[in-house]
Amino acid sequence: MNKPASRWASEAMRKRIASRYASEKRFRALGLAAILISLGFLAFLLVSMTVRGIGGFSATFLTASDATDPELVGVWGALKGSFLTIIVTMALAFPVGVLAAVYLEEFASRNRFNDFIEVSINNLAAVPSIIFGLLGLSVFLNVLHLPRSAALVGGLTLALMTMPVIVIAGRNAIKAVPPSIRDAALGVGASRMQVVFHHVLPLALPGVLTGTIIGMARALGETAPLLMIGMRAFIASPPQGFTDPATVLPVQIFLWSDEVDRAFVEKTSAAIIVLLLFMLLMNGLAIYLRNRFEQRW
Amino acid sequence: MTLLLGLLLVLLVGSGAFFMARDRAEGLRKAAGTGKGRLNSLPAYHGGFAFLWAAVPALLFLSIWAPLQNRLVDTAVLESPAGQQLPDFDLARDSILGEARAVATGASELAFNPAAQALVPVFEAAIGRYSLIGSIFALLLALAGAGYALTRIRPDLRARAGVERWVMALLVTASLVAILTTFGIVASLLFETMRFFSMISPGEFLFGTQWSPQIAIRADQVGASGAFGSVPLFWGTVFIGAIIAMVVAIPLGLMSAIFLTEYAPPKLRSVLKPLLEILAGVPTVVYGFFAALTIAPLVRDLGIAIGVSGASSESALAAGLVMGIMIIPFVSSMADDSIAAVPQAMRDGSLALGATRSETIRRVVLPAALPGVVGGILLAVSRAIGETMIVVMAAGLAANLTANPFESVTTVTVQIVKLLTGDQEFNSPKTLAAFALGLVLFLVTLLLNLIALRVVRKYREAYE
Repeated sequence: MNKPASRWASEAMRKRIASRYASEKRFRALGLAAILISLGFLAFLLVSMTVRGIGGFSATFLTASDATDPELVGVWGALKGSFLTIIVTMALAFPVGVLAAVYLEEFASRNRFNDFIEVSINNLAAVPSIIFGLLGLSVFLNVLHLPRSAALVGGLTLALMTMPVIVIAGRNAIKAVPPSIRDAALGVGASRMQVVFHHVLPLALPGVLTGTIIGMARALGETAPLLMIGMRAFIASPPQGFTDPATVLPVQIFLWSDEVDRAFVEKTSAAIIVLLLFMLLMNGLAIYLRNRFEQRW
Repeated sequence: MTLLLGLLLVLLVGSGAFFMARDRAEGLRKAAGTGKGRLNSLPAYHGGFAFLWAAVPALLFLSIWAPLQNRLVDTAVLESPAGQQLPDFDLARDSILGEARAVATGASELAFNPAAQALVPVFEAAIGRYSLIGSIFALLLALAGAGYALTRIRPDLRARAGVERWVMALLVTASLVAILTTFGIVASLLFETMRFFSMISPGEFLFGTQWSPQIAIRADQVGASGAFGSVPLFWGTVFIGAIIAMVVAIPLGLMSAIFLTEYAPPKLRSVLKPLLEILAGVPTVVYGFFAALTIAPLVRDLGIAIGVSGASSESALAAGLVMGIMIIPFVSSMADDSIAAVPQAMRDGSLALGATRSETIRRVVLPAALPGVVGGILLAVSRAIGETMIVVMAAGLAANLTANPFESVTTVTVQIVKLLTGDQEFNSPKTLAAFALGLVLFLVTLLLNLIALRVVRKYREAYE
């Protein structure tokens, strides 16, 4: 072998390159491992809940309400409470959130007042949920004397919490509508209101709805603020209206998890499966809406 | 007879005004043809103009009248002959009044207390009387508004501009809700905290190391002093939310983000990223149950196995671990954004000099993305210390000042829940302490968010 000895061929260099490639591989494997650990935990959680809870399902479980005997408990009462609460939340947070988003994105000029609105919305989106519970307790219950434990108060509290989420999603959706649409409508003589309500908002609606559904799913899974306003009582019959004492599914799960009786573990896990199914349904709907109607310009 | 009737009447008048105004405008349009006197606005806008003038003032009146009416009814009932025989004792009187009101408004069928049953007709009469007054006023307002609008219908009426002014007012009102909420939070927390500090000194609250908020029921009770030193709570919150949870979430979240942005092919990324986000969508009560039932016993057994003293079934480690897992998607998506924002030219430069991809990431991309990553971590910390259900279910109630992760610690949010559920006496320092803790939590998360947003924004500007 009388090739000139390249410095790349030397033993030391070969080792060095090999170790650099090995460290490259290790780094990449570490990244994959991080994701797999996180997803493995998720899978572990879901599987263990399913295994524990699947035996808890029965006709009684789906139609009954809370009871002291674990054999007789059911989720229907809590589920109905959740629906009533979410209806109130939706009815308040959606219109207010969308209108506020329209104002901030289309009409608000830059001044102190509008800056203040913007800062408060961004901060509200990051305030811990339990603080909204304290607000609900001191304003809705102690000042306005609304009925305790009612779906109405729960819905109001969650609406205040969800509204900023809808505003932020709504603003992004409105921002994504290209200016040419607005210019065209203005060009044929529409007023600014007509531009917004006839053209921009319909085009932004899929994005707004996606954000709203995600906000609603969050509200559906929320527990802490509802504990604050007293939705933790033992409710043995489904609520008949918005002002009846009610409980919601996550709070019911919390209450059952506190029971000493081992038989409640199965029922709690079964209730968790029901809750997760609803979350999955709502998030699936949001993803479907986004993929089906999302427009790219 | 309730205010519902007034509401219906107002809406009826409003829609009547809408159709009348529209038809009149339609008539004007026909009469004018295309010549002089053409309508300024479409007939439907004339209708809308009349509807808004008829309905909005009357509805505003009703929304003010409704709470006022409740108070008037209560006063009327108390002044009636039957009401004056009620006991003077506040609690007893209020419960009788409440029961009678429930029957009178149809919320319940029958009152158990005979005194309440006797009050029902009085209540019904008072509600009927005041509802009638309120409804008539609302109706008059609606008619006046409708009349005013109808007299103004002329071809040159700028009805569309009028309608749009109302809509604009609506938009501003909707935005004001956010300010009102912020104001409401600050005012209610501050107000209750002031009352708390009139009983317990702020110094003791912020720097005391003893937390046992029981209040004496009997004077000679053991341990009845009630100590409100919240240092152990602050420590527990930081220990679980900012230390243990972050030890889990930062490496896992950051490495996930690096893999997703730098290594994963687009197809794999589009599958893995939504899966990872599911972790953030699982309700916290589910995590709490899982932490208490599955993770906590494992952690306790581990603690006993390695011989740690004081291993408890409600440990800081179990709560912190699960909370860390919950936070992973937050850290990962913030890191994802800031890594993606690093200009490609920087990567290309490093790769062209012969660095491997991992060397590029460690030496070039991560330092460049650091401010964004730090901002994301701060947001994650603020999220973790405000988190409630996981710690309520898994961390325990004992206010220990300990750095042993196998022991039980308690957090600010756990104590807020503990103080405000169960029997409530509203003026005791025990209940008010929850609001003081809430104020501290609110201020700290606010500060963390402001700093994080500023850091992230500064960093974005650097690359734009």
